[in-house]
Amino acid sequence: MGKRKVGALEKVDADLTSLQNKIKRDPLSYKDEFQSQHNQYIAIYDLFMQAPGNPSDHDSIISLRDLIEFIAHVSDCYPDLTAQFPHQLMGLLGNHHEVLEPELREKIVGSLVLLRNKDVIDSPTLINTLFPLLVSTPSKSLRALLFSKILSDLRSSNAKTTNHRLNRTMQDVLYNLVTSDRTSSKGLWAIKLTRELWRRQIWTDAKAVEIMKEASLAENEKVIIGGVRFFLGGDKEREEAAEEDSDEDDGPDINKLRHQVGINKKSKKKDKMLKQAAATMKKKERKKGAPHPLNFSALHLLHDPQGFAENLFSRHLQAAKSRLNLEQKLTVLQLVSRLVGLHQLTIISLYSYFLKYLTPRQPSVTSFLASLAQSTHSYVPPDALTPLLLKISNEFISEASSTSVATAGLNAVREICARQPLAMTEELLQDLVMYRKSKDKGVMMAAKGLMALYREKAPEMLKRADRGREAAFQMRQGEIKLGRFGHTETAGGIEGIELLEAWKEEQRKLRREEKGLATDDEDEDEEAEEDDAGWKNWDAEEDDSDDSDGWINVESDGDEIDISDDEDEKPPVKKLKLDTAEANKENTEAPVEATAAEVKEVLEEEKRVSKLATTRILTPADLVKLQELRQQASISALVNRKSKKASAAASADNNRHADDPLTVAEIEGLAKLYEKKTREEKIAMAKGDRDEKHVSTTAKRKEKKRAEGKSTTNKEKARQKNFLMTLGKAKRKGRRSMVDIQKGLRGHIDRKKRGGKRGNKGN
Amino acid sequence: MGSSAKKKKEKKKDFQKPKLKVGKTKPKAENFTSTSFQAKSIVLKQQSLAVTAPSTSSQFLHHLSLLTSKSDTQRRDSLAYLTSTIAATPPGTPLPQPAPTIISIVEPMLTHPSNGVRQQALKLLISLPHTDIKSHVERLVLRTQAGMTNLSNDIRSFALDVLEWLLETAGDEVVCSPGGWAKTLDCFIGLLGLKKDAKASWTSTRTISSSGGGEKLYAKQLQTLALFVRVGLADRRDASAKGAAREDAWFPLRNTEQHMLPKVSNPYGYLNLFGIPRNDKTAMSEDVDDRRRIFVSTSQPTIMAAIYQAKGEGGEVGRAAAQLKKAVAGVMKGFDDI
Repeated sequence: MGKRKVGALEKVDADLTSLQNKIKRDPLSYKDEFQSQHNQYIAIYDLFMQAPGNPSDHDSIISLRDLIEFIAHVSDCYPDLTAQFPHQLMGLLGNHHEVLEPELREKIVGSLVLLRNKDVIDSPTLINTLFPLLVSTPSKSLRALLFSKILSDLRSSNAKTTNHRLNRTMQDVLYNLVTSDRTSSKGLWAIKLTRELWRRQIWTDAKAVEIMKEASLAENEKVIIGGVRFFLGGDKEREEAAEEDSDEDDGPDINKLRHQVGINKKSKKKDKMLKQAAATMKKKERKKGAPHPLNFSALHLLHDPQGFAENLFSRHLQAAKSRLNLEQKLTVLQLVSRLVGLHQLTIISLYSYFLKYLTPRQPSVTSFLASLAQSTHSYVPPDALTPLLLKISNEFISEASSTSVATAGLNAVREICARQPLAMTEELLQDLVMYRKSKDKGVMMAAKGLMALYREKAPEMLKRADRGREAAFQMRQGEIKLGRFGHTETAGGIEGIELLEAWKEEQRKLRREEKGLATDDEDEDEEAEEDDAGWKNWDAEEDDSDDSDGWINVESDGDEIDISDDEDEKPPVKKLKLDTAEANKENTEAPVEATAAEVKEVLEEEKRVSKLATTRILTPADLVKLQELRQQASISALVNRKSKKASAAASADNNRHADDPLTVAEIEGLAKLYEKKTREEKIAMAKGDRDEKHVSTTAKRKEKKRAEGKSTTNKEKARQKNFLMTLGKAKRKGRRSMVDIQKGLRGHIDRKKRGGKRGNKGN
Repeated sequence: MGSSAKKKKEKKKDFQKPKLKVGKTKPKAENFTSTSFQAKSIVLKQQSLAVTAPSTSSQFLHHLSLLTSKSDTQRRDSLAYLTSTIAATPPGTPLPQPAPTIISIVEPMLTHPSNGVRQQALKLLISLPHTDIKSHVERLVLRTQAGMTNLSNDIRSFALDVLEWLLETAGDEVVCSPGGWAKTLDCFIGLLGLKKDAKASWTSTRTISSSGGGEKLYAKQLQTLALFVRVGLADRRDASAKGAAREDAWFPLRNTEQHMLPKVSNPYGYLNLFGIPRNDKTAMSEDVDDRRRIFVSTSQPTIMAAIYQAKGEGGEVGRAAAQLKKAVAGVMKGFDDI
């Protein structure tokens, strides 16, 4: 039998992609065709379900794959016919994912995601289908596929607005995964997913942190370390991702596009492209202007940090049966010490735990030292720290020990004492300070650093000669006094308020002088006027100030969250008012037999706190001025320092945020420089942070011109012109007519006379 | 300017001699291709040195394995060989390979794109003993249904041939198998290009049959449907009269048949203990009354309308339609009374 001719219509119907296209355009007319395809799908599906893992023929797999894709694409056109389709796919995948042919399996996953995108099924259904597979499947490729699909689904459903319901269910699933079986490594998937979503700022709430917290308390090493790493590096990763987003390339060059539209053929497509480019640029502009999203770090969102730190410490570090190796233990220790330092927690046994590891022979002792320093804060009893300091100075700091060891020890001592100066004893300090005469630069610098620290904190502990003029003077004035343990400097007020007061006073004096009034008269009207001006000016000022950030409303959810950026920032005005009021009350109600000294002290305290904040409401203009004055003061303080080095050191100290961890590099100090380096490291150091690639000046200039959207010169164009295109002209030049030659020669003579093409009339 | 200089340089590179150094191996050429390989074992192909020809069973096995070959002619030839071998085995002696193995390999070829392969596969199945076919009807029915819904007209019409053969060899098993009745009826409706919903009936035409195949195919479809209906809906109560006679033989005992060991394969299949849950389309309908009910409720009106239309056309189609009508009327006679 010869080949039967296939009709054109029949051929088209057999082509699923074209049928799919036609159905999308006109679903009603192609219902019959779809019905027959659907019947075929059902027949093949039933056949396939006889033995899903071991189908008898390869053709049916291929046709099933194609049909699944086809039906998934058009299922939104015939919801009544394909009502069972998603369930069939889910059943197929859920029950037989281990034995299905890989390509078919991928197609089913893709089709389910497609159905989700077409809103045939909802996100929770999709995730409930895919997530159990992610955890249970042995196939690596399927896991990768599922992970990316789940992630992209979560991203897309959170793209416009946060989908709280979905997030909550997903977080619950992950939480249960982590907590249900603490010994299994399945929790890793929860960690991966949470970390990725955290990085992309899709999940920024306490529940995500809770998942990680539970992961850190798991019993599987991988899960523990995954959770701990998140706390140590998750926020930095998030910041970096945000930065990367913001300085992505600026999209299409709008000038260039506009230029091209002017030259090239005009078409609807080009027009659309231009419009699209303009839209993206606009969007980008708006994004740039948008206020920075307020995100709290994971460490701040922790619920019950004390319990968490205690659990981490007792389970992973103190427990004898903990199976973590040294490196993993160090990571956990780092987290515990950061928590302790940041939230000022009290875990007394932590410090005795350190005692064992503080010997120079201990591997990676510097990170132990860094952790120790990090876990110190002003509420740690000095009794717990003194033995540690003694041990460090005995083991590390001696003439006999190597210089790098001594440097590390001194630096560690300095970092600890910076956080709790009371831990140091006088003899020990004086001993250590003597090392500033050391020949080694690292040791010398470290010892000097320690000395400088105590000049600021407690100069009376230093020898008289070491105190320095400034500190000695201040000591005599009674300005520096090392408080007792537990004593905290409360209240204060608004930072720099006294500066503002002084400035206002000055201003008023100037104005009075202008008017010719007595300088100390009070004028209420004038003050009120001034206030009004402050409020009035404000709006105008805000409008034209570019760098002022917009306000973001952050609704408090009941519990107080400390968002202070600075260690020594004072609590807000309100508290101050209360305090002073209380003080006053105390003062008045104080029994008659209260000693005169007490009364005097209270009064002094009151005097120190500026009255400005308690008597008036500060206008926005005032606040702006305050900020300015504060900056000025800090700059002048830096400039007025005697030595450059000291100011550099101070700025380095100030640069470090309270939330930032203490690194090993800081403990090692200058000693790191002496270590033998590899060739690569040397080269990198010599290069510094200069640009890697050398680019010629011409190239730079060209690039600059191109970036500005400028064209090339005629000369350049001529130079770049294709050689073959210039051939014709060259040939023509060879057989010019006599007249042309004459013209050329005459031109030459003429130019000669004029002196060049443009003529040098000046000469 | 840049390009020509570059080209020159590149050209020069081709003729540069590599410098040889003492104590160093000669540098390899740029276009050097490594032809070394690693293998656990190296098999040298050799012609068989056996003097005697391979046994029939090994040849049979070989041809069975050739059925998965890519080439259509190869498949067809192997099928032909297998058919002749099976036909040559005297009845009573076992086949070279068990029938289930053969069926599971041959059955997918019923929807093969090549006509020759399909025909040969059917021939092979026909040559197999009927008892074996009866126990594997379920898969064959599913395959036939897949063929009936196939896009290609050839495969669709061929599937009718297969169905006819199945009905003749194992009619009862076909209509009783899961999905064998309700779903096959659905397939027929799709095949005839009928619509179940009468809403859009005024524009309904026989889209599929008119798109290809023509009158002959339509007539064939109607004939097969008639056969299917006759097998499926025929009342076997007269057969039970014979059973009653047997009852008498067992006289003091009653309903003995029901308590004997079942003789059919998979007697508890209707319980569906291990399969996927069935819906009403794929459910088993072992009872004639069951099948009648399904027929009346789902497809009778559609089919009657089609018969009416086809009878009007006359010719071969008209005759086939009349036959179908007679068949339906014949088998439904008793049911209407009830």
